[in-house]
Amino acid sequence: MLCEKCGKKEATFYYKENVNGVEKSYTLCSDCAAELQKNGTISGTTMSGDPFGQLHKLFSEDKLFGSLFNAGLKQPESRETPKCPLCGSTFAQLAKNGKVGCPGCYEAFEAELMPSIRRIHGRSTHTGKIPVRCREQNERKQKIAAMEKELKESVASENYERAAELRDQLRTLRENDAQ
Amino acid sequence: MKTTNWYTIQGSDNDVVVSTRVRLARNLQNYPFDPLMTEDQAAQICSLAKEIYTEDDGWEYTDFGSLTPTERRAYAEKHLVSREFAESRYKGGLLSKNSVHIMVLEEDHLRLQSIYPGFALEEAYRDVSAADELLDNRAQIAYNEKFGYLTHCPTNLGTGMRASVMLFLPACSKAHLIRGFEEQLGKIGLTIRGMTGEGSKAEGRLFQISNQITLGVTEEETIHKLSGIVEQIVKQERELRGILCKGKRDENLVRNQVRRAYGTLLYATLLQTEEMVRLYEDIRLGAALGMIENLNPIRADEMLFSCMPNTLMANGECKTPEERDEVRANRARAILTGETGN
Repeated sequence: MLCEKCGKKEATFYYKENVNGVEKSYTLCSDCAAELQKNGTISGTTMSGDPFGQLHKLFSEDKLFGSLFNAGLKQPESRETPKCPLCGSTFAQLAKNGKVGCPGCYEAFEAELMPSIRRIHGRSTHTGKIPVRCREQNERKQKIAAMEKELKESVASENYERAAELRDQLRTLRENDAQ
Repeated sequence: MKTTNWYTIQGSDNDVVVSTRVRLARNLQNYPFDPLMTEDQAAQICSLAKEIYTEDDGWEYTDFGSLTPTERRAYAEKHLVSREFAESRYKGGLLSKNSVHIMVLEEDHLRLQSIYPGFALEEAYRDVSAADELLDNRAQIAYNEKFGYLTHCPTNLGTGMRASVMLFLPACSKAHLIRGFEEQLGKIGLTIRGMTGEGSKAEGRLFQISNQITLGVTEEETIHKLSGIVEQIVKQERELRGILCKGKRDENLVRNQVRRAYGTLLYATLLQTEEMVRLYEDIRLGAALGMIENLNPIRADEMLFSCMPNTLMANGECKTPEERDEVRANRARAILTGETGN
């Protein structure tokens, strides 16, 4: 299609803006686009509209993540670094490769890795899916805590029959946990 | 490859969306990563994977060590494995069943991926999750409460999930909107790249939009966010295609370009990859706009993915580049005219 300003050259730029709810769009050739950009009619930084008007606002808290993958792993410090007990990697090796030696490295070098992980993801604690094995552990921990609370309450209200029941159940649960 | 090629199946919003992929990075506790992994440990991981995803349950295992480099690259051209996996890892293999493909011994011990034609984030996540459950029930997966699923590279920590949607954006590219998308998406933890992934140019006006952040967000939140953005971009692309063909003159200009490209593909004797990809851009747009009778956009996708260099060579139909260009011309024509199945 032809440029809507000069009407001569082929339009290669599409520009859309929304000022106080008034939407304007231009289809321009590169020369006219450059001219309008120069005199400030259209944005100088990018020749594009914002297709994400609403969604962008919706996720505005994520602006924190602006400068994501700029930073690699922190350079090793001159002090002696301990080794991962599972794979024997040092933090210097991790920093050099930008990757860990084994899953155990995350525990061994948690403090050293944390700044990079925060820089990469903007957050530092997992909130998604949990493997079955850990899910059961989680549930068991919660169940024990709830029963301990009820046990205390039963003793306080002198309901010794219920307290004895709970004490036995807790013993079994803890034994299973230890296995 | 026994499984049906994803690009031969009609998908949702196929006029703009080519495919959807969701992959999960999973690792076994107590096993190191490459290069610290021994041959024995690598063999143990392969055996365990084959025990979990068995032939009896319909899984097909392809040992990548027994393939030629061309055959391995053909898998990458179809987006069933990563380029890195095709180029440098021969210890592992690929497990496939329907939409799910599991790379064994890629950067992570296992990378589970589901690929769908069209826009299908929920379906892809559902399938890959089902495969993940099988693994979860049988193996000790590396995980901790703080960092979630533990991965070789810290960029995948947390959910280990990368969801990506491949979009055909000729009108947005022509209107120079991609740079703007890059800036906007970067601010909300998403990214847009050329067809073949990281750092690649946008071949065929194909772009992948995917999540960057995996820690501190749930799988559902990521899918919801990506889904919303893709819907917006799809809408914008359709709007711009409308502008591109507004009025008789503009419509004729597009139609002319589309039909010339189609004509070349129907009558070429020799066809190089680069030219095929360029013509693909025109005929796929034409097919989506209904400018070529009986040509569906997925036929164009089928041509693109079936005519990639290693895919043609891996079929054993050609040996030299010249032979390949002839085979490519014939194959493209056969697909476009419907003379072949897939």
